[in-house]
Amino acid sequence: MGVFGRILKVELAGDRLHCEHVPLDPEIHRAFIGGVGLGAYLLWRFAPAGVDPLAPPAPLVIALAPLLGTPLTTTAKLAVVCKSPLTGRISDGLSSSRFALAAKRLGVDAIVIVGALGRLSTVHLDEELHRCRLEPAGALAGASPAEVGDVFAGAHVAAIGEAGERRVRFASIANNGRHAGRGGAGAILGAKRVKAITVRGDATAPVADAEAMRERARDLARRSQGAATDKYRRLGTVANLETFDRLRILPARNFQAVSIGRRRARKLSPEGLGAEGGHVRAGCAGCTIGCDHRFGGTRLEYESLFALGPLCGVERPDLVLAAAAACDRLGLDTISTGGTLAFAMECAERGLAPWSLRFGDDLVPWIKRIAAREGVGDRLAEGSRRLAASLGQGSERFACHVKGLELPGYEPRTMQTMALGLVVAARGADHNRSGAYQADLRPGVDRFAADLKETPPRVIETEDHAALLDSLILCKFLRGAIVDPWVEGAELLKMAAGIDLSGDQLRAAIRRIIALRHLYNRREGWTIAEDTLPERFFSEALDEGEVVSRELLQGMVAGYYCARGYGADGALDGALLERLQLGRWLDDRR
Amino acid sequence: MVEVELYGLLRLYAGGERCEVPAGSLREVLLAVEARFPGLAPAMIRGGTATELVRVSLDGREMIEAPEQPLCEGAVLVLVSAQAGG
Repeated sequence: MGVFGRILKVELAGDRLHCEHVPLDPEIHRAFIGGVGLGAYLLWRFAPAGVDPLAPPAPLVIALAPLLGTPLTTTAKLAVVCKSPLTGRISDGLSSSRFALAAKRLGVDAIVIVGALGRLSTVHLDEELHRCRLEPAGALAGASPAEVGDVFAGAHVAAIGEAGERRVRFASIANNGRHAGRGGAGAILGAKRVKAITVRGDATAPVADAEAMRERARDLARRSQGAATDKYRRLGTVANLETFDRLRILPARNFQAVSIGRRRARKLSPEGLGAEGGHVRAGCAGCTIGCDHRFGGTRLEYESLFALGPLCGVERPDLVLAAAAACDRLGLDTISTGGTLAFAMECAERGLAPWSLRFGDDLVPWIKRIAAREGVGDRLAEGSRRLAASLGQGSERFACHVKGLELPGYEPRTMQTMALGLVVAARGADHNRSGAYQADLRPGVDRFAADLKETPPRVIETEDHAALLDSLILCKFLRGAIVDPWVEGAELLKMAAGIDLSGDQLRAAIRRIIALRHLYNRREGWTIAEDTLPERFFSEALDEGEVVSRELLQGMVAGYYCARGYGADGALDGALLERLQLGRWLDDRR
Repeated sequence: MVEVELYGLLRLYAGGERCEVPAGSLREVLLAVEARFPGLAPAMIRGGTATELVRVSLDGREMIEAPEQPLCEGAVLVLVSAQAGG
């Protein structure tokens, strides 16, 4: 109930496609729930140790979730899980769409794609396996995800843009205009020579307690329309930029500054952006919040705005909107695109690189070069860590990434809980799997001075909370409308899938998921030395003197692992695996 | 006087973006802000107390909430939405 107990395994080879249903252990959803949790398990199970993420055996997992397909608001979401070609570590990206709803109607809890095709094709998946088929992409090569969607109008499509086809290491997978962006899952699909996936089916997962679910869905929809979500509904996350500028947490010019000044920030506020080209609002499938704000026709969130705006020294709203539209069209993660370009700009301005790119330039020509891997775009397409390694000359100290993933829009020197959250996050510098910024903005927390004892538990709390929502899957923008996510999460799981977990058992499941992600990274070569920030944040003080203490951060990383029950070096012993009831699943390899 | 700046949703609810109110405790200052911008009540400020949807920053740095905290002449109070993610 709420789940199907099986996955669809899709094997690609040459010009052939083989699809089969693979049953899941009946306990799997109790152990890993769904979404990023189920996805982590399937990655562990199907990925050969040490696999090159762009090699045929590397799996791409599209994990669905128990709440998907129920009438609950904000649950039309999926998780794309893989070994990231950008970081070499686990990556999971969430995306909301009708594609997610349609994928569940295949009658499966996840799709696992392995192998690679001989030529670029569309994979048509069907509830009835004999109807699954391939279709040469032909003229779709180079098309935008939206154009692919138009070709298969009436079907539900996930697609890559040109960047994915050319294996840009931060290419996204788009579905219905939304992107599973971070970590480069689009490059994996491109390496498998898959331009698009369509899904068709009529299967439904019966809801365990349909009447209670309907009632709760009405209640949650009502709560989702209250004041706690009004910011997302009326302004969108772009409103963060002006606030962050005022609080000196807005990264600018490749993390060389924390403010662009009030006048410039105002131009990039919802009011300023709306004045540029109009402002309309939309929402994801099945969502009652409606946080999707489009300015001049282009969907924009804070992260895209910060990364393609202040981070690159771009102040003009029209240039930011054009850059965001180009990323959507070409299938690129906006944060890594902006982060890599900002790094390249600073390198050029310091005379370390031969290109003409400068802060404030129009980004669109450079974004096109990245997607096409044309000229210097081929180097930029590798992301900032690899670019710094190839440039040398000390540029590594200001290549702003963690584990190879470019930093999101929160300045670690003025958000020091977030600094720890960024470095310990399994998928690299991340604001979605670790919402530690929430702690930094709480009364009683000194965001300019982390604490060896207090900070690690704060990070763990936000990580666990995020993993819960990302496994069920429920949108994080609902968080203000939910009093106790552990209690309500357990209730929803029982209503949807008949999975009866206490709040504590649910918390244990989430700890299991987080441990499995960490174990996956360890298997792929992680060491604790990766859990750090670039040198800039330790040695270059901001205008009011803030830096991150290297020694304190190292101590907090050790404290974080100890607080999770791991060793100070991040090792998990047998007793902990036993407590987490994780051992049996670790043996469950292909 | 204490200078009060409003950001994001608060600005929308208030219909204004800044004001000056007499110095006093945080509660007294927020009561004055509430009186100056009635649209902030009850969702954002209620009876001189910021609701869970609001963060109150002193001079853009420390987040404060104690009602009796004194705010000196010349202090700047920055009111922002509690939700920060994106």
